[in-house]
Amino acid sequence: MSSGSRMEKNMSGLEPREIEQMPFGDALAELERIVAELEGGQLELEESLARYERGVGLLKSLQARLSDAQQKVTMLIGELEAETPGAREE
Amino acid sequence: MDDDRALSVTEAMTRAKGALETVRVRVVGEVSEFNDKPGYKAAYFTICDGSAAMPCMMWRDAYAASGISLTCGMLVELTGQFSAYVPKGRMQFTVRRLELAGEGRLRLQVAELARRLEAEGLMSEARKRPLPRYPERIAVVTSPRGKAVHDVLRTLRRRYPLAEVLLAGVQVEGEGAEEAIIEGLTVASAAGPDVIVLVRGGGSYEDLMPFSTETVARAIASCPAPVVTGIGHEPDTSIADMVADVRASTPTAAAEAVAPDLVDVAAMLSRDRRSLARALEHRVARDAHRVARVAQRPAFSDPHALLGTAAQALDLAGMRLGRAIPERLARDSQRVEYVRQRLLTAGPRMVERAASRPSLLAARLEDLSPLAILARGWSATFAKDGRTVIRSVRQVRAGDELGVRVSDGVIRCDVVGVEDGEEHERT
Repeated sequence: MSSGSRMEKNMSGLEPREIEQMPFGDALAELERIVAELEGGQLELEESLARYERGVGLLKSLQARLSDAQQKVTMLIGELEAETPGAREE
Repeated sequence: MDDDRALSVTEAMTRAKGALETVRVRVVGEVSEFNDKPGYKAAYFTICDGSAAMPCMMWRDAYAASGISLTCGMLVELTGQFSAYVPKGRMQFTVRRLELAGEGRLRLQVAELARRLEAEGLMSEARKRPLPRYPERIAVVTSPRGKAVHDVLRTLRRRYPLAEVLLAGVQVEGEGAEEAIIEGLTVASAAGPDVIVLVRGGGSYEDLMPFSTETVARAIASCPAPVVTGIGHEPDTSIADMVADVRASTPTAAAEAVAPDLVDVAAMLSRDRRSLARALEHRVARDAHRVARVAQRPAFSDPHALLGTAAQALDLAGMRLGRAIPERLARDSQRVEYVRQRLLTAGPRMVERAASRPSLLAARLEDLSPLAILARGWSATFAKDGRTVIRSVRQVRAGDELGVRVSDGVIRCDVVGVEDGEEHERT
């Protein structure tokens, strides 16, 4: 439930979410928002630096996830049969 | 042969016709030719299989009653008897009953179901849900054997290994497949995926029938996550395809539709990385430029420019002050004396005036009082209610009761008559 309360805080924007806990899509969306904000040039310098730092953190995490990704397959029903060349479907 | 006599052609054909008409059959074949001219009494067509053909005719009313519009390639089941058309010496099959057969029948059923579900709104565009761009969990419902499942797994592994694949391996054709697919969809939905992929490899039209059943269609429609189908049987579309949120042509295409390509994502990330760095650089450069511009202003580049002026000004003021003081003192003492004199004379007068003010105000107040006006011989006339002031002859009529307010009381009067002011002047 602790992650739930964290989520709530995030919604109100009080505290940035823990990057590693964020789904890939959410982290990517936040990164894109940060890039847009920085490019908008409306932020104070301090805020720009903070966003930049956060952006770099997101970027690192996303790139690491991409390079480390290993497909995980969970069988819900049935048993996966190995692929045999030229096998016909049941 | 009862006699050796040669028959006439008519006799021969009639005999053949009689023999043919004893052959009553039910036959399945594919329509290869079809001729239905409006003026004809019958529809004429040919059915065939790989090695034989059969000319057929069906009386127009029977054909119309069948409700089927024959087209070439259609598989039909015919019930009737052979016969011959004696004038032309042609054999034909007289069709009594016409039904769609095999795939044709299935297609008809599927088309009917599609129409019904469409009318119900199950296939409407408004029901189609968008797919998540970066799914965390992708459920795959398909046969655990064969090419399709591996096509999907391989494609997802290549494009987007980040997503966890939840695989429901179910029987997808033959007896029990319909129930198995529904169970697969139910189990997959329960696992809470972001998207569900329902696929199978190509097969005959009949093999695909479980994907064109009403129960499977409803199971797809009620999935909590969007469903992408990849039921490889171009150009046919199953009911599942029509109800799905996204329809892909093959299992591989379905997998491609649900996951972004890692290469694209990586490219996007490095673009983001560059943008991030560039944006910050710009931001810092802008501030640095502003600082530099301020720094270049004389105030900062030459400390004397700022302080020098002030110092000079101070010096100058000091000098002027030094000169001004004696002159000023003399002038000021004169002014002070003058003000003192005025104050001395003005003071008592101000007190006097202040003391007389209340009585002045009281007198003015009295002037304004209506009583004071009445005291001077004026009067005011009120209506009987004692409140409405009579300002016009139009407010009274003969016989009205009025009150006339004078300084020391009210005189009650009756109106005897009313005269218009102008009239009065004239008379």
